[in-house]
Amino acid sequence: MRLSRLLCLLAVLAAQPALADRAALTAALCAPVLSDQVAGLAALAEAGATGGRDEAEWARTVVAAVEARALRCTATGPVIGDGAATVDAATLAPLAEPADAAALPVNNRLRATAASAAAVLALFSEADPAARARAATALERRREALTLPILEAALAGETDAGVAGALGALRARMLLSDPDPQTRILAIAAIAADATLRNRTLIAEALGAETDPAVQAAGAEALAGIDRTLAAGRVLATLYSGLSYASVLLLAALGLAIIFGLMGVINLAQGEFIMIGAYAAWFVQTAIRAAAPGLLDWYLIAALPVSFLAAAAVGVAMESLVLRRLYDRPLMTLLATWAVSLLLINLVRVGIGTQNLEFHQPFYVSGGIPVLGDFILTLNRLFAIGVALAAFAGVVIVLRFTTFGMNMRAVAQNRAMAGAAGIDARRTDRMAIALGSGLAGLAGVALAPLYNVNPNMGAGFIVDSFMVVVLGGVGSLAGAVLASFGIGQINVVMEPIYGAVAAKVVVLLLVIAFIQRRPEGLFAPKGRR
Amino acid sequence: MGGGVLFRCVAAVLAALTLALPILGGPLSGSAVGISPYLANIIGQIATFALLAIALDLIWGFAGVLSLGHGLFFALGGYLVAMHMLKAGYVNQGIVPDLMTFMGWTELPAYWAGFEHFPYALALIVLLPGLVAFAYGWMSFRSRVSGVYFAIITQALTYVAMLLMFRNDTGFGGNNGMTGFASLVGLPMGAASTAVWLATASTAATLAAFLMCGRLVRSPFGRMLVAVRDDEARLRFLGYDPVWPKLAVWTLSGVLAAIAGALYVPQVGIINPRLLSPEVSIEIAVWVALGGRGTLSGAVIGAVVISALKFWLTGFAPDLWPFILSLLVLVVVVGLPNGLTDLRLPRPGRTRHGS
Repeated sequence: MRLSRLLCLLAVLAAQPALADRAALTAALCAPVLSDQVAGLAALAEAGATGGRDEAEWARTVVAAVEARALRCTATGPVIGDGAATVDAATLAPLAEPADAAALPVNNRLRATAASAAAVLALFSEADPAARARAATALERRREALTLPILEAALAGETDAGVAGALGALRARMLLSDPDPQTRILAIAAIAADATLRNRTLIAEALGAETDPAVQAAGAEALAGIDRTLAAGRVLATLYSGLSYASVLLLAALGLAIIFGLMGVINLAQGEFIMIGAYAAWFVQTAIRAAAPGLLDWYLIAALPVSFLAAAAVGVAMESLVLRRLYDRPLMTLLATWAVSLLLINLVRVGIGTQNLEFHQPFYVSGGIPVLGDFILTLNRLFAIGVALAAFAGVVIVLRFTTFGMNMRAVAQNRAMAGAAGIDARRTDRMAIALGSGLAGLAGVALAPLYNVNPNMGAGFIVDSFMVVVLGGVGSLAGAVLASFGIGQINVVMEPIYGAVAAKVVVLLLVIAFIQRRPEGLFAPKGRR
Repeated sequence: MGGGVLFRCVAAVLAALTLALPILGGPLSGSAVGISPYLANIIGQIATFALLAIALDLIWGFAGVLSLGHGLFFALGGYLVAMHMLKAGYVNQGIVPDLMTFMGWTELPAYWAGFEHFPYALALIVLLPGLVAFAYGWMSFRSRVSGVYFAIITQALTYVAMLLMFRNDTGFGGNNGMTGFASLVGLPMGAASTAVWLATASTAATLAAFLMCGRLVRSPFGRMLVAVRDDEARLRFLGYDPVWPKLAVWTLSGVLAAIAGALYVPQVGIINPRLLSPEVSIEIAVWVALGGRGTLSGAVIGAVVISALKFWLTGFAPDLWPFILSLLVLVVVVGLPNGLTDLRLPRPGRTRHGS
């Protein structure tokens, strides 16, 4: 009981000085000298920044009154408004119209400081991040009422990433224009620790106006450091995007290589199987959205088996209707699979339409992890790489450790002999084509968050996948991996320098030059030709 | 091997067309038996397709080497003749080509030099595709690249050429291609008589190629080609070098395709990189497969039937064409291994294992 009374008393005592402070703060606005008035506005901003939300809102009201020329000075302290609406500036309590009130004259300097103070106070009192972002932008131009401690406090309390970024840049600029060279050097080091293009621009801007040689030297060193990190980040980013392209190629090319290695059939419809995989993923998305919207984020995972099976089913249908009759005429299979691809493209075009499909981006494929400089490990590419690695591991396991894999290797090596040993070659063929087409279907799922999905999407991959198979050798897994990574990297590395077309030309010329030496690819089985 | 009744029939039809076109399309045009310039134009276009099919059949049907890149040679010939027409129009009549306006150029790049002279362009139409074919064939045949490998790489080559031509800065008109031709060897473009003369030239060229290739495949050289197709390893074992016959016929095939392209482009009045798309090249193989590989008349018939069907269908149901084409191909490759020639009464002892 006594304790609570004591607390009450303390609270009253604590509130009392605040009110007294408010009176002193407002009184400064009516000081006879302009510089005192300006200092009063700055003090108001600081009080709002350190005193909590209520204080900030009160200070904002007063500053707004100054800006609107609604603040009048009386002998007992400033008041806001006139007539019946008059309130005391310190307490905001209604007052009778005072007799001696004179409006505070507002000149340009006072107005500028008031605008700056209003922006500072908006940072501390606005709930809307967009309004705070506008205040931060205003502070870039008007720093009259802004001090470093205020900015630190705003930065510490900021929850929105965009506003925090703007405030961080503002703090960096303030530190870089600090009169003390030592502070500037420390500021440069602190900013350079986070090597992004944005911070590089900040330091470069500050150095443009720098006169102190020590600071210039520190700045130049910091810029060189950032440049090194940025360059390393760019190299990593290029390698990474090459890796993700290569993993999609690998999925498509593995399927091609399996089908070609076993049956000597080059499947020109492999690109369309990728397309079918992507469309199956879209159907899964639509189905989940209708049946269980809460699980929508997991549609890509659910689509993996569905797309595999969808593409595999089309592949098996193609095999049993067409390819089965063409095994002794491999060149005709080129025409037949081309016709299948034309048919699939046009069926999808007529049945679903030519527009790009809309894909929901679940949390595990949106955004990324910043690694170095401006290089971000984007999750959608990581997803593609992960799918490819998992599928590749699966293929290796199937080929090495299962009976089906053993049969497949046996049929690929010697069809007649394998048949004599009791292996059903026809069944093996059908399962191999299911596996090969299914892999293309998986590529379609991996692509869905990355590329445009439309009926013509397969055409872009088919030539590169063939180059992988030609370069990688017939039915060789290691060759397909090496070739797809080589071709993926060449494409991505060449593209920014010479353009996408040059990259394709170089890949093709390399392949043509390469097969001069090794006409059966990198890892062809040894034998007499 | 093509010297039969069918061969003579096709040759007779081509000869009759060549003779009749200038008369029926010229003085008699508009009469009951006359040929309208529109029809003459279509006949001319189809004739160039037949020539293209002969070129592919020569290398695929007789030497067993499938090219999925004959669109490359066809387009090469087309681009060369288009360059001649544009440059001649620019130099002689002061017509500024669209691609100069588009790129903001005040003069054409250096490699356009001399194209206003028809003999120079004509020489290039023969020499350049021949050189390209020779260089690529020499590299491939020498290292024994064959079968599907060869086919796929020809397609990739064509695809890359298409990507290159789609660029605006290569100086070949980019994705707009070349159009707005004024005249060819003094014949004004768009005139009725020009259409008839170009169609006549096309049928004449096709007839000449047909007769020449017919002689060629019946000669000892032709026997050698068939031997290359049927068992290259045995031929090599018997002491022959299969590289040179293959290379010779491959180069000849490329040149014939280029001539077809050079005749085709003035008749349609435009060339753009879409001619280099893989679909076009594969469609050529479809003509030959449908007509029957290894018979020149089959190639001509296949090209005529499919392209006539395409002209007719795309007029009222353009969406239907891809379905018909793909189903046609599937039916032919599955059911008629030797194309439409399978529809004839089977002759005893006549079997063929193609590859």
